[in-house]
Amino acid sequence: MSNPEDASDAPPPPQSAEDRKAASALAALDTPTESSSSASAPTNLDQEAVSKAMRALNTAPGASATAKKNVVKVDAADVALLVDQLDVTKSKATELLKAHEGDAVAVMRAVARG
Amino acid sequence: MPQPLAPKEAAQFRTIIRSFEDKQYKRGLKTAELILKKHPKHGDTMAMKALILNSQGKSDEAFPLAKEALTVDMKSHICWHVYGLLYRSVKNFEEAIKAYKFALKLDPSSAQIQRDLAILQVHVRDYQGYIQSRTAMLQARPQLRSSWTALAIAHHLAGSLTEAEKVLTTYEETLKSPPSRFDVEHSEAVMYKNSIIAEQGDYQRALDHLETGAKHNLDRLAVLECRADYLLKLGRKEDAVKAYRLLLDRNSEHTLYYEKLEEAMELSPDDVVARKAIYDEYAAKYPRCDIARRVPLDFLSGDEFRQVAESYLTLVLNKGIPSLFANLKHLYSDSFKKDTLRELVEKYLTSQDVDSESKDKGEAAALYYLAQHYNYHMSRDLVKAREYVDRAIEKDPKSVDFHMTKARILKHEGNIKEAAEMMNQARRLDLKDRYINSKCAKYQLRNNENEKALKTVGLFTRAETVGGPLADLLEMQCIWFLTEDGEAYARQGNTGLALKRFHALNNIFDVWQDDQFDFHSFSLRKGQIRAYIDMVRWEDHFRDHPVYTRVALDAINLYLKMAEKPSANGTNGTDEEDALEKKKAAKKARKEQQRLEREEAERQAKQNPNKGGDKAEDAKKKDEDPLGLTLAATTDPLGEAMKFLGPMLQVSPKSIEAQIVGFEVYMRRSKYVLALQCLNRALGIDAENPRVHEQVVAFRKLLDNPPSDLPPKVVETLKAEFKPVDETADLSKYNEAFQAKHQASPLHVLSAIKARLLLGVDVAKCEKEISSLIEHASATFTDAVAALETLKSWRSKETDAFRTAALAKWPNVSRLSE
Repeated sequence: MSNPEDASDAPPPPQSAEDRKAASALAALDTPTESSSSASAPTNLDQEAVSKAMRALNTAPGASATAKKNVVKVDAADVALLVDQLDVTKSKATELLKAHEGDAVAVMRAVARG
Repeated sequence: MPQPLAPKEAAQFRTIIRSFEDKQYKRGLKTAELILKKHPKHGDTMAMKALILNSQGKSDEAFPLAKEALTVDMKSHICWHVYGLLYRSVKNFEEAIKAYKFALKLDPSSAQIQRDLAILQVHVRDYQGYIQSRTAMLQARPQLRSSWTALAIAHHLAGSLTEAEKVLTTYEETLKSPPSRFDVEHSEAVMYKNSIIAEQGDYQRALDHLETGAKHNLDRLAVLECRADYLLKLGRKEDAVKAYRLLLDRNSEHTLYYEKLEEAMELSPDDVVARKAIYDEYAAKYPRCDIARRVPLDFLSGDEFRQVAESYLTLVLNKGIPSLFANLKHLYSDSFKKDTLRELVEKYLTSQDVDSESKDKGEAAALYYLAQHYNYHMSRDLVKAREYVDRAIEKDPKSVDFHMTKARILKHEGNIKEAAEMMNQARRLDLKDRYINSKCAKYQLRNNENEKALKTVGLFTRAETVGGPLADLLEMQCIWFLTEDGEAYARQGNTGLALKRFHALNNIFDVWQDDQFDFHSFSLRKGQIRAYIDMVRWEDHFRDHPVYTRVALDAINLYLKMAEKPSANGTNGTDEEDALEKKKAAKKARKEQQRLEREEAERQAKQNPNKGGDKAEDAKKKDEDPLGLTLAATTDPLGEAMKFLGPMLQVSPKSIEAQIVGFEVYMRRSKYVLALQCLNRALGIDAENPRVHEQVVAFRKLLDNPPSDLPPKVVETLKAEFKPVDETADLSKYNEAFQAKHQASPLHVLSAIKARLLLGVDVAKCEKEISSLIEHASATFTDAVAALETLKSWRSKETDAFRTAALAKWPNVSRLSE
């Protein structure tokens, strides 16, 4: 059993945004978790290189969302049937139906096959 | 926007935050009340109050208040953040993430909220979201190494290795000068990067990186092992040989190094002479090395095996090393080796120059080996085992090991009562040995002596724990004890306490899952990245631990029993008897609970003068249901069983036991498609399993007459996917054929009889058939126990007669007289 001395069990709540001065003071107070390890690092950093690296990072292609539109009509009665028979959530049932072109029997057969 | 406050109140508000951080909840609440008196509709203060209430364990008050705070101040990031924190505390991560995201939208600059969101995202394995959050955090703090490492981890876990490597390289390029050789964080990050390169399968580059970047790495062993591994994978055999020899010089007891060395030397597995030569070389070089002498026994055969085995046995027996049998028993799957080992030890025993004076060497060690040999399931002959163990005990009447083995032999004879007594005797020979203490407690639990066992382990638990030994065992997550304790209660029909233990075990697994939460930020801070990645990957499948399956099966079987006999105020005789018994049990349980409460009160009265302050914590810790009465009183046992069944089927689909109970639960819940899934999977694992046969018959019967309310689509599915018995086949004949095929196995016959009852054969006839199982040629006492359980579950009148008959044949078997 380990019990790291992390404060994440009780993360300090956010500062009051309306009082700007206090806010910055507080922000300095309650950010011990990530900054504590930094103490030694910054001096060794080439700030320019960092900002260059950051720019490169920004232009780097993000995770390309490959959401393909599935235009399968799903019968509400079939969704209800699967929710009841297969112990799944509505969204999972819909997903399963879409994957089997809306055929409830095909979904259930695939499940039953084991 | 948060509602503005006057300077004085604003200062007070900050005090609340401070009090909360310092866990001074009472003071925080008081301050909150002060502000609320002036501004009763101040959303942020209400939210903070809710947060504090939640930390005090009053979540039923906290949620409505937080909601109210949101309605008066929809645009406050504080209110949303608190809302998220509340959801997180009840483990509704999905809602918590939503709330955090909203809070972040209102205040995109908050590092706090961003970090909470990120941690939660990796916790629920939303890697794409985690990458986004980590990128945002890196943009906020690009000067921190951990910001970069964290983003690399995010990419790594999401599966984009090149992206992860790029992030790490980008950071390294920003460094003006290489970090100090003793910078642990850097050293670890380099090895982490190396592992990412290797994971991409590019071993040449990984090797180059290792030889340049990791030359002076602080983790020497990891560097050497990786290097040897890469060389081997790259086909640079000669260098690999050198690398593995170097590792063997560091640690000559590591089997894997030998195997890899053989691989690097391109030795064929059949070339036993050359293989043996390697081991001989190291045995000569390191005279105390055990592995080099023992491993050749695995691949040698015939006379060579006999020779090597003899010298090994002589050496170890002369020394009297107690783990000898444990180290050799894996060879027993080869019947030639099994017999040879026995012959050799017998020969050793009768040879002239054996040390017959010593208490643990020579003759005594050989006797001990043979006792274990005949006790082992692949070479069992309990009569001989007893003979040898008694002779060993004669040599040394004070040996813990010998007595422990005797207890084991008794257990295998079915005599659990005497086994527990013998184990206790062994324990008393060395009161300071925790191992034998635990063993003794386990045997006492097998003998259904829960209190005695608790006292036994209590000798080694922390004395000052509030709540006694059990509380300590729970806190220390002592899984073996809780499992055995629960099973003992289940055997005695104490459903409440049994369920209590099983749920406690389930909670321990939940805790393991929750424990990772702290490490998402902790590991980064400490820079232990490789270990962190290992942990995250382990967390994704840790419930496949065999103990989880065992506990889940226990709990589900108990729930199935409960579902079998609902506490109906029945009309016939047996039910009334049952109700009466139940009343008695309830009364007893109530008394027990009162006694516990009284003891607790006494203890508190004793402790209070010393420490009065922790009352709040005590209240939080207090168990509302120490005897599990509420668990036992559930009206939906099958629904409860699902809590165990769902995870178990997911992580251990290859366990036939899991599929079998899954079928039972789903059938009773009328989820026939899922039941068929379990059945088909079970058939895939072992089509000849007797229980599966019963289930096939039951399912065929269901299909012949499907319930009228079953939707036609379901009926169509079931008919199409149920294949073991054809629709036109005669089920009775199918059942007879199964019995004929497995006539030699009592358990299969038992299942065939149970199936007959299902098919409408008269109960009395089935009972008679079960009773006759005692006469079955290959029946053992475990078969008799199974038959007895069946009769009991039928509430058969034959039960007692069967018990008497079985006890006449196996007089010392404890489970038969229970």
